[in-house]
Amino acid sequence: MIILLDFARRKGSANSRSKANDRLQTVLAHDRIGTSSGIMEQVKKEVIQVIRKHVDTEEPEVSLISRGRQPVLDINIPLKGR
Amino acid sequence: MMEPSNGGQVVVITSGKGGVGKTTTVTNVSMGLAQLGFKVVAMDLDIGLKKLDLIMGLENRVIYDIVQVIEGECTLRQALVKDRRFPNLFMLPAAQTRNKDDVTEEQIKNLCAELKKEFDFILIDCPAGIERGFRNSIAAADWAVVVTNPEVSAVRDADRIIGMLESAQFQDIKLVINRIRPEMVRGGDMLSIDDLLNHLCIDLIGIVPEDDGVVISTNTGEPIILNQRSLAGRAFYNIARRFAGEEVPFLDLNHTGSLWDRIRMFFSKQVG
Repeated sequence: MIILLDFARRKGSANSRSKANDRLQTVLAHDRIGTSSGIMEQVKKEVIQVIRKHVDTEEPEVSLISRGRQPVLDINIPLKGR
Repeated sequence: MMEPSNGGQVVVITSGKGGVGKTTTVTNVSMGLAQLGFKVVAMDLDIGLKKLDLIMGLENRVIYDIVQVIEGECTLRQALVKDRRFPNLFMLPAAQTRNKDDVTEEQIKNLCAELKKEFDFILIDCPAGIERGFRNSIAAADWAVVVTNPEVSAVRDADRIIGMLESAQFQDIKLVINRIRPEMVRGGDMLSIDDLLNHLCIDLIGIVPEDDGVVISTNTGEPIILNQRSLAGRAFYNIARRFAGEEVPFLDLNHTGSLWDRIRMFFSKQVG
């Protein structure tokens, strides 16, 4: 039982490094442009409004990523086919 | 990094976050450069919160401080504290009872211009934070070293500092990763060297593994670089050699997996 628990604990923490990387990626991109991470939801809402005036879309993915030290807005909008 | 052109070079050691190892880096790299035969000054600009004298083990030799030099109460030569171990190593102490607003960027520039005539390297121990003390510390620097730990808050502050150095037109910014624990990286519980380089996107100049010996050397005032059997001591010596322009291979954490590899790493000279 103790061994199992230990195994479960290890498994639970095994990806703390990748979690740290994900959190850093987001926070650094926002720090570099001086915005808070909540802003992306707003961008997503407004982008979808603009696009949907012209074509029907699925839910877009909007994220701030970094290319080197350059922050880049990554917008992926799948369009609905007929 | 580069050969001294008009006299010595001024290097600022900075980090944003406190407690990541700036003073330890300044102490050990200064001593390493002195071992290599360079004439070196380690300058404490953490005015009001000085530590460099203590970490270098020179606290009993301090008579004057940098603010007294600037205010003309003593000469620069009188304030420079000579190291006990290396005749070509000196320390310029910060003032403890003053604050960071008591010196200006212009005064630091003048002081460094004076020191450059006589010394090969001037290493500046920058205070934590991004305020006046930071601006004073970078004002006269030819290039910068950012020290960080493999930990999210230290990396975030390092990134902010790198951004500020870039805004201040620094072309040459190098990274020291301090207190890395290879076994935790392998276990997936610590950011790796590559992770940090991917986030921060600057060149690496040193990797210093976590080493209990650093605590002991801080207690005794005998910097860890004097103990070449310690991994951290050798890592700092390698950083000093890279400062001097030598190409020294880095510790490769990807090949420290098996017991045999760890034994080999221990006996190899190519650490950090």
